Amino acid sequence: MTTNTHAKTGRRQFLKLVSTGLAAMAMSPVLRAAPDGLLRKAIPATGEQLPVIGLGTWQTFNVGSDPELLDARTEVLRAFFDHGGGLVDSSPMYGSAPDVMGYALKKLGVPESLFSAEKVWSPAGGSAREQFQQLAARWGLPEFNLLQVHNLVDWRQQLETLRELKAEGRIQYIGITTSHGRRHREFERVMASEDIDFAQLTYNITHREVEARLLPLARERGIAVIANRPYDGGRLIKGLKRSENVPAWAREECGCQTWADFLLKFIVSHPAVNCAIPATTRVEHLNENMRAGNKPLPSPDCRRKMIRHIESL
Amino acid sequence: MSEWSSYRLEDFIPFTADVYYRLLERMGEDFWPLHLLTLLLGGVIIVLVLRGRARLACLLLAPAWVFVGVGYFMLRYGELNWAGQDIGWGFVLEGIMLAAVGASGLGIDHAPRFKTLPVMLGALLGVLGLFGLPVIAPLLGYGWFQAETFAIHPAPTAIMTLGVVLVALRGIGLWVAAVIPLAWIAISGMTLLVLEAPWAPLTFTVLAAGLLGLVWKTVAGLRRLRGGGAPA
Ligand SMILES: NC(=O)c1ccc[n+]([C@@H]2O[C@H](COP(=O)([O-])OP(=O)(O)OC[C@H]3O[C@@H](n4cnc5c(N)ncnc54)[C@H](OP(=O)(O)O)[C@@H]3O)[C@@H](O)[C@H]2O)c1
Repeated sequence: MTTNTHAKTGRRQFLKLVSTGLAAMAMSPVLRAAPDGLLRKAIPATGEQLPVIGLGTWQTFNVGSDPELLDARTEVLRAFFDHGGGLVDSSPMYGSAPDVMGYALKKLGVPESLFSAEKVWSPAGGSAREQFQQLAARWGLPEFNLLQVHNLVDWRQQLETLRELKAEGRIQYIGITTSHGRRHREFERVMASEDIDFAQLTYNITHREVEARLLPLARERGIAVIANRPYDGGRLIKGLKRSENVPAWAREECGCQTWADFLLKFIVSHPAVNCAIPATTRVEHLNENMRAGNKPLPSPDCRRKMIRHIESL
Repeated sequence: MSEWSSYRLEDFIPFTADVYYRLLERMGEDFWPLHLLTLLLGGVIIVLVLRGRARLACLLLAPAWVFVGVGYFMLRYGELNWAGQDIGWGFVLEGIMLAAVGASGLGIDHAPRFKTLPVMLGALLGVLGLFGLPVIAPLLGYGWFQAETFAIHPAPTAIMTLGVVLVALRGIGLWVAAVIPLAWIAISGMTLLVLEAPWAPLTFTVLAAGLLGLVWKTVAGLRRLRGGGAPA
């Protein structure tokens, strides 16, 4: 694992941008397997490759200043980077999660693969620019790869600032988020009319409303998609693990050995989805989740069978 | 405000149950053995209010609110929840209001009727907040440091205060002093509900009892003003 200093990050990201920019022709994510086995898809705006499994931090990384828990989350992040993990998603709404990221990155160093994704959210106070500056200081980074408007709050005004920050080279990509199927009409309007690089939304095997309009629109508009709540907040995978075995056909035909494989491979095999961002407090769960990002991914037929199976339970 | 209407209860609880219980435990560890003193203080407050020394009882409650506002919310809970600082200020404000009531005597019920429902409910809530809440965690197998204690943790402080003001105050003063304790009991109940704590229903029962007492006492007061009898 590389341990670049924070100062090097700007140059690294610039080089990454130039090299990947040359390959930025694709309008929808294209699959690639890296030497570590983790599949990657191209961000439509630049062609930059992003691992299909990222990491969420809602609740799980909000541990305040408890030294034991800070170290425990650092180990989760260490395992994430050991697997070649890239995108880590946080928000000013997530309490101390950005500070915990800062703590862990200071301990681990900033790995080459980190793709830092933050958000601006007006109720947390201060302008979008102030929030960006505070968050960058909390993570201990000079800049973020991605800055998103959390839950569309004040999106017009916030997107304006995000565009300025992008033009200044402080962030690479801008985006919007929603979850739990909220405000999809407005989300769709923003996706259709605004120049954004990323859309983050809830997509999992039991919440597939976005398949109808938002995911096709993302492909059409060349917007990368981050799928949040891949386990429906944990209920889905915990319930399945408690009461069901992974069906034999899923092992043989779809390469799913675990429920994490089943649920995450389903999400990231959708052609419009770039990555899923399960959150966890536990290294063993992280390992399981990251393994789901390896080959193979289910075929369209397999995906249909997976849906039927979950609906039959 | 359409933005807020799309939020759910769970959006406002940004931590896991483990982290929340650990926060309660850290508070307990950091301030032990202050618990012994606050329990004694709580006992004195209940005795005082039941003996008609309501102003002194309110004055003694005030520092508990300021202490919890700063020590619990601003310095600890605020790390976990972006709203923590504001809630902390709410607790400080309650402390100031109680001190003002104690100092001025405004809103004091000079003749609480001890055999009426609101006063009995008040005494019950006071005792529950002071002695009942601390035993929940140990009884359910959590450590002793997770025991929620009056003047150290917010829930017992709010429940105990709600009980005391039900006995000590009347009219608008009663409602003003009860709003913040009621609000915290509601938030605390919703937090426990989201975190799937088995004792969440107790918090809502306390909330309902407190509201019943407040409404009862208000209606009884209005009837007396109009020359009618108090509700049975
Ligand atoms: N509006 C928005 O922008 C928005 C909204 C929602 C979410 N998000 C983002 O999306 C991320 C993911 O969503 P989420 O955190 O709500 O829910 P999630 O990732 O669907 O579920 C997280 C839960 O799943 C459990 N889990 C993870 N891996 C597991 C495994 N292999 N086996 C069993 N249990 C496992 C975790 O518990 P353990 O700790 O026990 O592993 C955790 O409780 C968030 O963290 C956040 O970054 C963004």
